[in-house]
Amino acid sequence: MVKRGSRLPRRQRLIGLWLLLSGISIFGGAVFGLWLDSIAGLEGMARLWLWLGCFSGGGTIFLVGLILERQLFTPLRHLQVQLARLVANPDARQDYPPEGWLRGLGPDLMRVREAWREDRDRLATAHAEGARSAARIRQELETLLQVLDTPLLLCDHHRRLLLFNQAAETLFEGHAGLGLGKRLGALLPIASLEDALGQLPEDGTPREILVPCDERWLHVVLRRVPHSHNETLLTLTDTTAAWSSEMGARAELAEMLPSLRRHSASLTSAADALVGVRAETPDSALGRRLEAVIDEEGQALGRQLEHMGRVMEDMHRQGERLVPLWSNDLWSSLGERHGKNGLHITPIGMPAWLQGDASALLALLDSLLPRLATHSGHSELEAEACLGNRRVYLDLIWRGHPLGEQLLDEWRGERLDALPFSPRVGDVLRQHTSDTWSLADDDGEHARLRLPLPAADRVGAPRPRTPPRPEFHDFGIAEMPAPDTELAARPLRTLEVVAFDTETTGLELRRGDTVVSIGACRIVNRRLLASDTFDLRVDPGRPIPPASTAIHGITDDDVAGAPPLGVALPRFRDYIGEAVILAHNAAFDLLAIQPPGGGIDFNMPVLDTLLLSRALDESLDGHDLDSLADRYDLSFPPGTRHTALGDARVTAELWLSLLPRLEARGVETLEQALALQASALDKEDAYAS
Amino acid sequence: MAKVLVVDDEPNIVLSLEFLMQQAGFEVDTAGDGESALARIAEGAPDLLLLDISLPGISGFDVLERLRADPAHARLPIIMLTAHGREVEREKGIALGADDYITKPFSTQALVEKVKTLLAEVS
Repeated sequence: MVKRGSRLPRRQRLIGLWLLLSGISIFGGAVFGLWLDSIAGLEGMARLWLWLGCFSGGGTIFLVGLILERQLFTPLRHLQVQLARLVANPDARQDYPPEGWLRGLGPDLMRVREAWREDRDRLATAHAEGARSAARIRQELETLLQVLDTPLLLCDHHRRLLLFNQAAETLFEGHAGLGLGKRLGALLPIASLEDALGQLPEDGTPREILVPCDERWLHVVLRRVPHSHNETLLTLTDTTAAWSSEMGARAELAEMLPSLRRHSASLTSAADALVGVRAETPDSALGRRLEAVIDEEGQALGRQLEHMGRVMEDMHRQGERLVPLWSNDLWSSLGERHGKNGLHITPIGMPAWLQGDASALLALLDSLLPRLATHSGHSELEAEACLGNRRVYLDLIWRGHPLGEQLLDEWRGERLDALPFSPRVGDVLRQHTSDTWSLADDDGEHARLRLPLPAADRVGAPRPRTPPRPEFHDFGIAEMPAPDTELAARPLRTLEVVAFDTETTGLELRRGDTVVSIGACRIVNRRLLASDTFDLRVDPGRPIPPASTAIHGITDDDVAGAPPLGVALPRFRDYIGEAVILAHNAAFDLLAIQPPGGGIDFNMPVLDTLLLSRALDESLDGHDLDSLADRYDLSFPPGTRHTALGDARVTAELWLSLLPRLEARGVETLEQALALQASALDKEDAYAS
Repeated sequence: MAKVLVVDDEPNIVLSLEFLMQQAGFEVDTAGDGESALARIAEGAPDLLLLDISLPGISGFDVLERLRADPAHARLPIIMLTAHGREVEREKGIALGADDYITKPFSTQALVEKVKTLLAEVS
């Protein structure tokens, strides 16, 4: 939103002073002229000279001021803009050639500017050539890392994340602690890792540890990266399923074994004793008691064996090779394999999650499909995943009659040569505690081959994969100061900054207007991360006035079902992490995200590009976002201005343009930048008062 | 007649062992937990102890340790009975001073033979 207070810039004040002086002088001259005229009684040329003399003072002040403004002050302001642009954006091609009395500086300034640009070009070319091979290697390594199925994290000796790959992003899907520059402790329980991290051998020998993470158990292999700045590579495996199935079943079996042994010992001892008792006294009370013992222990053994069978079946069902599979993925994979042979599979119905050994299942279906096509005489099959009780039925459907059990028996005996040790179809079915059978559809025209598989407890379609090559690493983070160093002394160029903007229902935040959208993006090591963004619509709980919709384009329908501010703010706070926040006219946006009773404190340092720009160019007009974007030649996609994320991005770009100018004035640390913007605020307050 | 003390909390197995040991010619006393086993031994030491490991209250290992710590019972023949059958428990039992270690289920004939052999060795 557009929001700001106003004060009279110095230029306007000077112009006002000049016009006032000119006016007073002309008016004074007129009064003086009237007085002289009345007492002198001059006529003709003498009277004309008298009046000219009286007006000469005011006229001279006016004319000299006009000439100075046109010939000196305006060219000086243009020169100031030109210099600011040269520092902030040396490659901008919109130049203001010196004018007026500064016109003579033109050739020299052009020469300096062109020489600087040429030097920059030469440097850029040299840099590009030097970096080309490194970039190629880096790109190959990046690609390699991103296609690896093993989740990887790399952190520096301050435990800050320098790199993570796509598999790690999938593993920690939606976790606020995953982000470049964020501390490892925000992602994994650092207390569990600290000992292992502190004692890692320098030669890269790995250490393994099992750590809890939310409701999962992660097997973490840690190794120091040799010849690095004490960087540590972590490879992760989610062992929750394996542990819960293996350890749970193992524990149950281990508990069961002593009981089985006890019952068995009692049974055999009682049987032995009974033989002796019968030999001595065939119908004694002891004999009857021993018979009762045998009966009791036999039944106990039976129950234990039944329990054991269930545990074994569960173990089999939950075996770690059985992983959650999305039925549509299975069908499309089969379609790709068999499409070239003219066999087409059309998935129908609702897709479902199931558990299976993907490679074994594909090999099994690979074997069954051609047989089914041959038998049914159709090359077009339909595939459906039907939900059953704790099972998902994979059905292959054709027009015709069901298959006989004898034929299916033959198929079960076929070997799957694509798999290690060439198991039979029946073996893979047993691996999934499954079998297959054929049945006729109710319509009497179709038949299906049914393959029941364990259901997986996931819901919803799999998330689409993130676009290739988002920013997953930044080794420059390792050069940052330690996180415990005083934040104020941190150089601006190493700051992690979250630029944000809010769109609201109106400008009267103290009178009920509130947030409808929060957008933010992150800058790490002077890089604006393209994919690390926060963009959330917020339900304001009140209608959005048409006047506001006209600015940001957000309607009541757009925010229907969006989270309320009370839910959105903690998410935004999580996104910020340990960064410094940045906004243009931050006072407004801070008020927007800290409503009375909001409950979330945004108590990190706040940078404000509006105040910084005013402090840098006090004498220039126009510090609104549009003027500054034009001044620094910032480009942004059409339609993104006046959206929260779009404005946050422009603010971030503006910050990156202001950085070299701040540094050129010796403002290099956060503390200095905050002091500078505070000085602009003080002046604003002074003018306002 | 040699006296054997059977210590086990499973009444079914105590019943069978009592009969089988008596049939083999031993005098048999029984106890259902570690405390009462120690009390029986204090009243009058048996010639041999069949001692289960998993007992309510103090465990069979505790009983074994206390007996071996007492010079009066340092040489009392003790056979440990266990349903766990883990190698490490066997090692622990032998290390604490058990003379033998038998995993349930066992052959009663073999157990009787073992008792006879141990008693013969002691005598």
